[in-house]
Formats: sequence, C-alpha cells, structure tokens
Amino acid sequence: MKVLEACNITKVFPGVTALDSVDISFELGEIHCVIGENGAGKSTLIKCLTGVYEPEAGSILINGEDALKNKKLFDRIAYVPQEIDLFEHMTVADNLFLPFEKSGLKGLVNKKEIEKRAVPLLQKFHINAHPSTLVKDISVSEKQLLQIARATVHEEYDVLMLDEPTTSLTTKDAQVLFDVIEQIRKANKAIVFISHKLEEIFLIGDVITIFRNGIKVAYSKVNEVDTPWVITQMTGREVDQSQVFYSDKIEDEVLLEVEHLTGQRFTDVSFSLKKGEILGFSGLVGAGRSELMQAIFGYLPIYQGDVKLKGEPFKRGDTCYSVKNGLIYMPEERKSQGILPMLSVRENISISVLDELQGTIGISKKKEADLAEKVIRDYDVKTPDIEKEIQYLSGGNQQKVIIGRSMCCNPKVLIFDEPTKGIDVGTKSQIYRMMKDLAEKEGIGIILISSEMEEIRKCSNRIIVLYEGRKVGEFASDADKESIMSAVIGIN
Amino acid sequence: MNEERLKPVNSVISTLKKSTMTAIGAVLALMVLMASVFSPYFLDIYNLQSLIRDLAFIGMIGIGQSLLLIIGELDLSVGKIASLCGILSGIMMMSWGWNPYLSLVAALFLGLVLGSINGLIITKLRLNAMVATIGMAGVYGGINLVLTKGKAITGIPASVHVFGKGSLGPIPYPFVFTLIVLILVLFFVKKTKTGRYIYAIGNNRDAARVLGIKVDKIRIMIYSMVGLISALAGILYVARLGSAQSSIGENWPMNSIAASVIGGVALTGGIGNPAGALIGAAIISIIQNMIVLFGVNVYWQSAVSGFVVVIAISFSSLSAIYQEKKQRKIKLTK
Repeated sequence: MKVLEACNITKVFPGVTALDSVDISFELGEIHCVIGENGAGKSTLIKCLTGVYEPEAGSILINGEDALKNKKLFDRIAYVPQEIDLFEHMTVADNLFLPFEKSGLKGLVNKKEIEKRAVPLLQKFHINAHPSTLVKDISVSEKQLLQIARATVHEEYDVLMLDEPTTSLTTKDAQVLFDVIEQIRKANKAIVFISHKLEEIFLIGDVITIFRNGIKVAYSKVNEVDTPWVITQMTGREVDQSQVFYSDKIEDEVLLEVEHLTGQRFTDVSFSLKKGEILGFSGLVGAGRSELMQAIFGYLPIYQGDVKLKGEPFKRGDTCYSVKNGLIYMPEERKSQGILPMLSVRENISISVLDELQGTIGISKKKEADLAEKVIRDYDVKTPDIEKEIQYLSGGNQQKVIIGRSMCCNPKVLIFDEPTKGIDVGTKSQIYRMMKDLAEKEGIGIILISSEMEEIRKCSNRIIVLYEGRKVGEFASDADKESIMSAVIGIN
Repeated sequence: MNEERLKPVNSVISTLKKSTMTAIGAVLALMVLMASVFSPYFLDIYNLQSLIRDLAFIGMIGIGQSLLLIIGELDLSVGKIASLCGILSGIMMMSWGWNPYLSLVAALFLGLVLGSINGLIITKLRLNAMVATIGMAGVYGGINLVLTKGKAITGIPASVHVFGKGSLGPIPYPFVFTLIVLILVLFFVKKTKTGRYIYAIGNNRDAARVLGIKVDKIRIMIYSMVGLISALAGILYVARLGSAQSSIGENWPMNSIAASVIGGVALTGGIGNPAGALIGAAIISIIQNMIVLFGVNVYWQSAVSGFVVVIAISFSSLSAIYQEKKQRKIKLTK
C-alpha cells in the first residue's frame, strides 16, 4: 500500500528549478533508497515531503489524503536530519522526550519517571548509554541512533526518513544502525534512506530512485541493478560537456608545493600546483577538503608536513602572512567566514587593501570609492550603489565581491571553496569564466574545491580526490566520470 | 485629535529612518528644548557648566567603551582602572613628592598597562570579556583599598587642580579633554586601517581572520586604549575633586555602556559611532540634571533616571524593529 505519494512535484528557487515534475511513492515495509549528486534535488524533495517547503506545483498524498491541504498529516512522517542536532548539555532521556507535551509527559518534569520510560526505548535502539548521561558524553554512533529514537518516539508515524545517517559512522557502527532500520521495517513502516555510499544501498535497500539535476532519472528494484548502472544514472552522460573552463596556459613554474600534510581531519596529503593551473579537489562532504585548504592558508593548525610557496618555506598558522604573500582562501561559508554583513559593499572591497588607499590624511574615501566602482564594473556585481550593506546582496553578487576583493591583493594562489554553492546557473558559468581568465591571463594558480562532479570536470586541469581525509586518487581532466565517482565514494 | 498627536511621533520615526546619528542628535535637541522650557534654571550658565563637567566623564569613558562594543566586547573595570590610576597619581604627587606632571604621565601609562593586562588575559586565555573584567575590577579595586586603606588623598596642587576645576573660556577643561579624545578616536576609526579593522572584527570575527587581519593583536590594542582613556578620566576626576578617592568611577562602567547604546552602538558589535556615545552621555546627564531640577524626591531619583534611560535605549531598537517590519513588507509584496 502506498503510504506516501508525491505526484508531479515542481519546486523553483530564483534561477534554479530544484525539482522538475517529480513522481515518487513509498510503500509500507519497504526500504526506499534515494540517491543523487549534491544539488540533484534530494534535500529539496525531502523538505517538500516533510512539509518544510511548499512545492509550486503537484500534490502530496499521505495515506491517500492531500497533505498540502491538511498539514497535520505531515506529523505521520518522521525525519532524521543529516547533521546531529541534539541538545549536547542535556541528558539522553531529556533529548529523547523533548518537547515533553508531545511525548505525553504532562505536568511537572519528573526526572525519575522520564529516565524509567527511556530505558526500554534505549534498549530497542541498541543505545548503551545510561538515560542520565549528558549527550555530549556519548559516542557519535549513539547520538545518531538517539536521533532516530527521538524522531520515532511517538510511534504514530508511517514513514521514517533518514538523511545520510552514516556519514559520521564507522562500518561497525553503521551495522548496528542497519539492524535498527531492519527492525523498524519489520514493524511495517516505510523507510526512506538517503546515502552517497552505494555499498550500503546494496546492503539494505529494496528499491532505488536516482535523481539528477532536479529530475527523477531512474527507478528500479535494487536486486536488479549493479553499481556501474547506478553511477551512470547518477552522473549522466549528457552532451552538456561541450563548454569547458580549464586553463589552456599552464606554465612550468611550480607555485605551491604541499608535502605529507597532516592536520584536523586530513592525513598525509601531498600535491603541487603550477602557475596558470586549475586544480580541482573532489570528495564527499566531510572528506577533509576544506580543512586541508584552511590549514594551508593558516586558519587551522597543521600537525605535520611542509608547505612551500614558490619554493620558499611557508609560515604556518598566520592568515595575515598568507594574504600578504598572495595565498588567498575564499571560504565556502560566505555568511559566516566571507562577508562583513553590516558593512557596505565599498568597505567590504577595500578592507584588504587599505594600505594602498591612503590619502593626505588617512584613508581616502575617494580612492576607496573608485576602487569599489572598478570592482563592481569588472566583476559585474549587481548592487544599487556601493554604500549598500552587503548582506542585502544576493549570494552570487556577494561571491563576486569576494572574488573581486581577493583579486585586489595581487594573489599568486587562489583557493575557491565551493564557489558556486547556492548560486544560480547563469552566474555559475560567469564564475567559471572568471577562474579561467585569472589562470590564463594573470598566471594565478587556482585550487577549486567542489562537490559537484560536473563543475569539477568542466573547470579543472587535474582532479585530486580525497576520501576520509586521505588522497585516494589523481585524475586528468578527461578521466571518465565513473572512475572519479568511484574514488569519491570510496570504492577500491 | 488623534492625528494631531501622531504627527510628532511620525516625524521622529522618519528621522530614525534616515540615520541613527541624526536621530540621536534630534532626541538630544528635543531634550535640551524640553529641559529649558520646563525649568528656568536649566540654561543658567552655572547649571550648564556643571552639567557639561559631569557629562565629560561619562562621555569620555563612553567613547572608549564604544570602541570595545564595536568589536563585540566590553570592559567593566573602567571605573576601577580610573580610580586606581587617579589614586596612584595622588600618591606619586603627595607621598612620593614627584613632579605633578610626571605623576600624571606615569598614571596615564599605568592605565595603558592595566588595559593591556585586560586585553592579554581575555585574548590569550580566551576568556569572556564581561566575566574577566568583572574579576579584574575586583583586583584593581582591591589594590586601591590596600593602598589607601579607604582614606582620601587630599591637597592636590593647584597646577593639577585647574585641569578639573578650570575652564577654557566658558567650557570646562574636562569637556575640552573629552572633545580632544573624541577627535582622536574619530580619526582612528574613520581614517586609519586599524580603525576599519575593528568594524570588520565586530561584524564577523572569522571573516576578519580569513582576510588576514590580526584579530587578537587589535583586540589587545583596543583594551589598552580603553585603559588609557579610563586613566585620563580618573586623573581629571581627581583634579576636579582636589583629592584622590577610591569611590571614583563607581557608576562609570554601566553609564558608559548605556551612553554607547543610547548613542546607537550595538551591543552585538560591528555597528556604531563613538560620537554617538558622547551624545548618549549628554542625554543621560540631562536626564539626571532634570530630575534634580524638577525636585524629584531623593528616594525616587534612581528609579526615575533608570526608567528614562531604558526608554532612551529603546529608541535605537525601535528603529531596528521598524526597519525589520519594512523589510518584511517588501518581501511580501514581492
């Protein structure tokens, strides 16, 4: 019986169609795997199916009733997010039953009773921690299990959605999780399992649906297909490859040399970057790519290894030194690490080069304005004027300001960390074009971190793949997608 | 009838929309107007001089405090630094027989040192600024008591006394010093690189690090500047009283923060103008002055002045609430 059914769902964001007429249905007692690259539309689908987003078109039926008309029906769907979002400084039992009203605990909070009621639930989910332990003191796998326990504590759900529940788990811990999932399936619930790890899908999945660019491209029973088929469906073989943005002017001079670098979440990574080259870094979210680059830049600590810029040893742990010497990092988290939100576009641009903007008495406002106007022109930033607070600009325009600002400091090496995250298609190719120009015309060495396979293949001269903090492969730009994908998801 | 009443409210709101600084300026002007209408003594030259002399101190400390608030921190030991430096300048002059000017310079230097101690422990030990400076206020206040045993040091020479008691034309010296501090600080925040960096740090500390700004170094620097400014205020207060007392600066931490916030400096950091702190100080001082002039019962004075300060602070958040509502409307119509 179809417990949850979505018909013809379309969800549009400014500039992007995140989901395009998607039909999908889920049945009781079935583990339904949903798979696709980052940005393929999985998260958007989940958010539509749990009532967070309202789709522009289509309908969602829960037990045959229209859920978009009766939002209460969404309570039948239990959702476990990818990120662990428990209350770290509260006990296991508190976390399990919060909010208390919803869990049927009335009146004053009785610690003893809550803990007593928690015991059988914890046993059911193989959580060994005592109910009175603080969540910050239990293991990651127990936290993950606790999240599931919490989502299903009311027992009045029909569908359980798990968004990449194993990303932070070891194989052994994942097995415990699978046992729990199997148990829930036997209780005749529908399970939606989202994962990047193909081996897990073949281990526990019944049916599989594959997404690409907001479109449902394939549906099958798991036992009728194999890994290469899934990868082909995931990556697609569109002829959209025509336009490429890698650099055509690589020089022999080596700009950046990294040898046996070890730090937080990455181990023994070596690579080198030539003048005018675009070097792509691929991998899953959490593979340690950002941490590696932030460590080279001096933002995070390096435990071991060497970094050389133009053959000279590079000072560690000093972002000021890095910027002065032309190594610039443009963060993935634009909001938290990139922009100065309440300052104007002008101030956001001039901040790195105030030394060069001195007038007769201190900083010259005119020189500052001239520079800002130039950057806005050169990088096609859309803003009403240079005094606009940058927080009111769109993501793409903020990104262009950040690129323009970095270019003012005469960089030798630029690190782009997910430069097109949350950016619409049109602006994306504008940013690719900028990177290509910088590499070819200015001879800048570019490092591109991206989780989008298309993007990394279009833009990089070489591709390095990290998996769980280690370098697991290096590919030329014309390497086939399947072999890169295999390395990304840790096969071999 | 109702519309008539709404008119001035509307005009206040439309001023608030334009800029925080003009809005606070308007509030100040309104208060001066009200005070002079309601009390014939307000514009009396003696009253004005003593008012300006009072606000000079809160204003000076407020200007320093606003720098810390802009980087998203604060210093609750400013009053104790002021009194400790004031007392020590007195001890150097009276007990050790130092040259008065040399004593003043030495006390200023001490303020710089105490400020940088605050900065160092907060950055290096990664402490919360509020808790750390409450602790340090205890330490500085304690040293103060050990040195003075609670007694005032009297007989400050006339050459020093004049800085607190005298006037440049009609303007009391302390206020002249406050204006000098304001001009220097404004030059610092508007025209220098480091000045711009403090706004960057207050806006987004992580982004500032990614930009290659030496965040901790600048934080320590601002703490030492605030220490220096506090010492100056402390010395001037000693000069005003003609004696060094450990009770100097009791209310300065809270008043300086209130003055900054009234003046449009955000407690969360990143926004504000030190000049606003001086206007805020003026508003607080006028409130206190009016309460005295209106003959409010002594026991009620503190409650009334506190209440009016809360109203004054809410002006800056009212404009934020208004902006937010406007934004929401724009989004909805889109």
